[in-house]
Amino acid sequence: MPSIPVELPIFILHLLTALLIARLRGLFSAAMLTGIFSLLSCCLFTLMDAVDVAFTEAAVGAGISTVLILGTLALTDREERQRPARALPFVVVIVTGAALIYGTFDMPPFGAADAPIHMHPVVQTFVHGAEHDFHIPNIVTVILASYRGYDTLGETAVIFTAGVGVLLLLVEGKRAGDPPSEPDHGSDGSDVPRDEAA
Amino acid sequence: MSPVDIATLVLLVSGAAFCVVGGVGVLRMPDFYTRTHAASIPDTLGAGLILVGLMLQGGGWIVTVKLVFVLALLLLTGPTASHALVKAAHASGLAWKGEDDTHHTPLQTVKVGGDDAVDPG
Amino acid sequence: MIDPTPMRMRDKIVLRVVSKLLIPFILLFGLYVQFHGDFGPGGGFQAGVIFAAGFILYGLIFGLDEVETVVPHRFVEIGSALGVLIYGGVGVVNMMLGANFLDYSVLAHDPAHGRHYGILAIEAGVGLTVFATMMLIFYAFADRGRRPGGAA
Repeated sequence: MPSIPVELPIFILHLLTALLIARLRGLFSAAMLTGIFSLLSCCLFTLMDAVDVAFTEAAVGAGISTVLILGTLALTDREERQRPARALPFVVVIVTGAALIYGTFDMPPFGAADAPIHMHPVVQTFVHGAEHDFHIPNIVTVILASYRGYDTLGETAVIFTAGVGVLLLLVEGKRAGDPPSEPDHGSDGSDVPRDEAA
Repeated sequence: MSPVDIATLVLLVSGAAFCVVGGVGVLRMPDFYTRTHAASIPDTLGAGLILVGLMLQGGGWIVTVKLVFVLALLLLTGPTASHALVKAAHASGLAWKGEDDTHHTPLQTVKVGGDDAVDPG
Repeated sequence: MIDPTPMRMRDKIVLRVVSKLLIPFILLFGLYVQFHGDFGPGGGFQAGVIFAAGFILYGLIFGLDEVETVVPHRFVEIGSALGVLIYGGVGVVNMMLGANFLDYSVLAHDPAHGRHYGILAIEAGVGLTVFATMMLIFYAFADRGRRPGGAA
């Protein structure tokens, strides 16, 4: 009996979960299914020996992201509005997906020792340098924080910018001295009710 | 196969079987509260059995200790999560079947791409 | 998050007790992941998210006012910028000590130790920014649901 790769059931579940998320109209269920999708991705990354990525995916995708989506749900409707089905998005998605799958046929087998990414001298420099120059076992951290530290600086700036964007969009009219739950005070602390909202 | 391997096999298969039983229960139970009951209890037991089976296969004592901590965390957080779920449903006013058969709330209905917003039946 | 029928604190006794048991371990695990990023999976991003998850759990169960007393808005707003500043600051310190931007080998007596200190410092900056940004986004959503100006 030929061996079935363990990734196959995970991929099938991925596909089913994605189809359900797209088709469900109950947004609560869709939010939970996005958490399940992230958890399946985390399993996939662990199977591919990328534990750092799996760790981040579990923490961010299955944890914080689900909480924030549920928090958004508390502010909007519980059901997605019914929209008429159109053919063009479906065609675009099919064409893009087919092009991506066609592109993967050109890639070397997963983990092959003679793949171009393993043969490049830069890789030997990183692995050698992590052992001799750094004395740090985790090569991922060495690459993230030192060899490609400039990129990580950019990533941190992106996270900060996302926070600033959320601040600009969602926090309305909050000033440093305002008490949190009293929106009807004037800016000088008097009890005059304001005309305009917030 | 050594006795440890056989014990691991038995534990893993029974753990998986309990998880499947939990899944069947979720599909067959009539109401949200009974479905939560079916989803949480056999799943906690099944996951616990799988973890004990993995403990027998661990490389050294440190892997076993880590798995013991994972098991303790699972036993602590799994029932609490389902308790929180049921408490939130009850506080939102979800009625159980039999209290009032015609009372439906949006939490009970899932429409997959249908035309109606709420299941009337 | 808005409550349809707000539960009183004494109704939530199971959740309160279990979260009081778990939150110290969550925060401790977050710190462990932060500082053991060199030796195992981890680092600043994961640690910041786990740390924020502990505080968000506290906020969900004990109320938003409680968690805003522990982690004030001002701290969160300053913290998210401070993390990026720490990261860039380490790079500038390297330049002031004579090496290139973000070349940590000059931070200590020995290049290997200097690189280790540099990595620890920038991971701390990344962890601080990620923690503060997650708390910021949580506060933004939760406050909006709480004010009468937000959607019901």
